[in-house]
Amino acid sequence: MAEVEVDTETGVVKVKKMVAVQDCGLVIDLKTAESQVFGALIMGISYALYEEKIYDNNTGRMLNPNMEFYRLAGIDDIPELVVRMMTGKGYDERGVIGLGEPPVVSPGAAISNAVANAIGARVPFLPLTPDRVLGALAQKAGA
Amino acid sequence: MRAFEYASPTTKEQAVGLLGTSWGQAEVIAGGTDLLSLMKDDVVHPKRLVNLKEIAELRGVTSTSKGLRIGALTSLGNLADNPDVAKTYPALVDALNEAASPQIRNMATIGGNLSQRPRCWYFRGGLGLLPKDDTGKDLVSDGENRYHAILGNDGPAKFISPSTVVPALIAYSASIRITGPKGAREIPLEKYYITPKTDNEREHDLRPNEIISEILLPPPGGIKVAHYEIRQKHAFDWPLAVAAVALTMNGSTVQSARIVMGHVAPVPWRSAEAEQEQAGKSVSEQTAAAAAKAAVASAKPLSRNAYKVQLAQVAVKRAILKAAGGAA
Repeated sequence: MAEVEVDTETGVVKVKKMVAVQDCGLVIDLKTAESQVFGALIMGISYALYEEKIYDNNTGRMLNPNMEFYRLAGIDDIPELVVRMMTGKGYDERGVIGLGEPPVVSPGAAISNAVANAIGARVPFLPLTPDRVLGALAQKAGA
Repeated sequence: MRAFEYASPTTKEQAVGLLGTSWGQAEVIAGGTDLLSLMKDDVVHPKRLVNLKEIAELRGVTSTSKGLRIGALTSLGNLADNPDVAKTYPALVDALNEAASPQIRNMATIGGNLSQRPRCWYFRGGLGLLPKDDTGKDLVSDGENRYHAILGNDGPAKFISPSTVVPALIAYSASIRITGPKGAREIPLEKYYITPKTDNEREHDLRPNEIISEILLPPPGGIKVAHYEIRQKHAFDWPLAVAAVALTMNGSTVQSARIVMGHVAPVPWRSAEAEQEQAGKSVSEQTAAAAAKAAVASAKPLSRNAYKVQLAQVAVKRAILKAAGGAA
């Protein structure tokens, strides 16, 4: 789940809080497992709001092959993160299942849903850049 | 990176003498935060680097009766931490503290910040400051121009002036002192930026054998100044639009205003239209919005950056409101 703040004049999205509840069967080392999910949330914020490969149609070149314009979330972009691992009866007896990629799947949808809930319009592409958010707001206003 | 000569003079005169008479021969290096990446990417390949860091007279911040004299070698970090600057030019400190990252601010010099090259990704990719394909067709107008200019883009230059600190300096009426082989000249900072029309020109009023030696800030008097920038990321990001506003007040009415936008044009963009619109009126949400609208009235967005018109407008409005609401 994500809580976001959207500046409706600029289209800038800020994630205020994220909560992840994860089931991966039997957890061997709780700290490592939680860490994996924290990392997934951070990656989720990056791809939901920032990450984008930009190619030039005329030259075929990638225009942002650097850390300057291929944006990744920085420390100020990461809000309070809450991770809750599902453990105990009903989970542990299923054995080890794996936790590499599953927690990175849902943050994009969660953030996108939170933005739609906040502004009353859906931004149909990731990342949720200011121009796309403003575009969705303008479309809603015109509809 | 290609091989180059390295010279480390200790006076301004020696430095100027070591520079070339045409671009491409030599470059000056101070903090190196921009030049080194340009050299590693083979965008610029000078035959000689002239290090300025051993020139003591280019350092230091001094208060004089005519205002503040800032040596060009002063780092952005030291400038932001200077008590005289914090007391008299708070909006400049806001701008400095939002620039780059703490690590870069410790290395980057103010002279270098004024003279940094555009961040246009065609330029940084080696396609030139006025990027064209083999047939001479402009690559930006027909390409990925989401971060390019919305104002002053009628000619071949579509890049944006990169400094986020310069609009605040211009709002404070800064001027700069430039040293060349025939001595020094002083110009208002806003005249330092020019829009190149051919590949042989640069975007600064600086000859290949000149260096910026100092930045001069006049006493601000009673003006109220604010800096506002809109960024996609909160941490370490280039802004999408910047505005700096200086208001000279007469009671609750704005007698005159200086309104400067950054990241919207090949030069820092002073908007006479917005200044006129705000003058003679008190500051309210309505008057600030009207001035902001005037600031972008002549904007001509490219194919993919119409959203920047809205962002520039919001930046100006918020900077006016911030200036009016805040301390001088």
